[in-house]
Amino acid sequence: MDPPPAAHRDPAMDPPPPAALMDELVEEVLIRVPPDDPASLVRAALVCKRWCRLIAGASFRRRFRELHPRPPMLGYLYRRPEDTDFVPTSSFRPPHAVRDGWRVLDARHGRVLVLDWAAQYKTMDVVLVVWDPVSDEQRRLPALRTATLFSSWNAALLCAAAGCDHLDCRRGPFLVVVVATGLSSPAKASTHVYSSDQGAWSEPINVSHVSHRYDFIMMAHRALVGNSLYFNYKLNTKILEYDLGTREPSVINLPSAFHGWHIVLMESEDGVLGFATVQESKLSLWAREAGLGGYAGWAQRRVIELDKLLPVSDCSRSLSPYVDPIACPPYVVSGQEDRTVHFQLQGCSLHELLHSSTESGLDG
Amino acid sequence: MASAGSGDEKAAAAAMITLISSDNEKFEVTEATATLSQTIRHMIEDGCTDGGVPLPNVTSKILARVIEYCKKHATAAAGEEGSSSSFSDAAFLEVDRAFLEELEEFDDAFLEVDRATLFDLILAANYLDIKGLLNLTCQKVADSVKGKTPEQIREMYNIVNDLTPEEEAEIRRETQWAFE
Repeated sequence: MDPPPAAHRDPAMDPPPPAALMDELVEEVLIRVPPDDPASLVRAALVCKRWCRLIAGASFRRRFRELHPRPPMLGYLYRRPEDTDFVPTSSFRPPHAVRDGWRVLDARHGRVLVLDWAAQYKTMDVVLVVWDPVSDEQRRLPALRTATLFSSWNAALLCAAAGCDHLDCRRGPFLVVVVATGLSSPAKASTHVYSSDQGAWSEPINVSHVSHRYDFIMMAHRALVGNSLYFNYKLNTKILEYDLGTREPSVINLPSAFHGWHIVLMESEDGVLGFATVQESKLSLWAREAGLGGYAGWAQRRVIELDKLLPVSDCSRSLSPYVDPIACPPYVVSGQEDRTVHFQLQGCSLHELLHSSTESGLDG
Repeated sequence: MASAGSGDEKAAAAAMITLISSDNEKFEVTEATATLSQTIRHMIEDGCTDGGVPLPNVTSKILARVIEYCKKHATAAAGEEGSSSSFSDAAFLEVDRAFLEELEEFDDAFLEVDRATLFDLILAANYLDIKGLLNLTCQKVADSVKGKTPEQIREMYNIVNDLTPEEEAEIRRETQWAFE
């Protein structure tokens, strides 16, 4: 760092006047306001024009996120039958805490993808909204006709800025990827992509797959691994891959040993596609293995004995609750991009497990 | 810290540097202490420390405090290097832990200063480029802002509110949740 120009005080002016911090140092102080208390930062912005300008500036946002790379949890979105509620876990309160007729589908880097259920009910079109719960900015995407969308689908929201480090991209360009399968045409799946730069949906791209009549894309789990999105089928006979580079969908068949399992797709420790599942009170993590000419198969990478960490019953089932309605927990409910796994035990307790090659941590 | 061999390190530890404050007071410090400041480290590397290092932006009062901080933390850095080879030795880890606790206590006591001194320390840490001290002092100010109203912060740091009543009302309207 160069010595700051403002520090070149005239030595003749001795004793110096009471220290006033230059912008750079006021910013140095303000980025250290604890990130789990955004109200303090907002109040600091009301101190004077200079503090307000600094806190509202892009440089501050960037440095703040660099210093606090894991963003604090401001709250969570709770899905109810008719609406979605923002439930705060910090001092932050959104402009609108209750969203009637909205269903959350995906969220990434501060933006949320929602289905406007109420609008769909009226017009039978699928109306998706990209929402920033902090600023309350919304972008309604052009409606997708349900006639072209088949009967079962899933969607993901992605940052579309090239080479983005995602520290401050919530106002930047985005993509929404919708994948769909249907009872009427079980031999193919289709993908639709919305680009915020173009403001329009792409022409659908179809991919053929051999499918059981009742095995379709589920509106549930999805994973972003490397430059591809992965979506689960209901019976887990296969996985739909959408390559963001080539913009081509393809199908990865799962060995019959996995059919009907309840798996949650996630990124493995070495950055390839993996999944988490619970079998016999053990959380097991699998990953795709490289082989000649592509991927050779799946290998179990890690087993974490939940019964040594948690009071789990000796559950030998690994069947999906979507397949077997009487299958009982524990279930993996989500695998995050930061290598945490969330799973549900009997009742409704949710646990977070951070796994790495050397340690496992647990939060109830 | 220094990647030189242990012989060189001993020589470096013995070398003394003279720092000269804005009010012309001279401070003799070891090179290990002085080089916690990146600014001084670069001066030493460039061979411009003969006859002392003038620091026209730092008063003797503040420089004495900065040196106190650097002495303590230079010892800590040396301690870390010394114990790293015996990393698996539980006794060494225990010593490290005790030392880190002592260092934390030192930092807490070090920060028990008035606002003007704290700001002078921030300016000095920035000018001398001492990352640990800059982080410590800025964090102290940031923590003092937590839970305070804008009025309390202005009072604490002698800041004049130059926002117009309209500007203030607009921000408050947009961020009402932060004032409840």
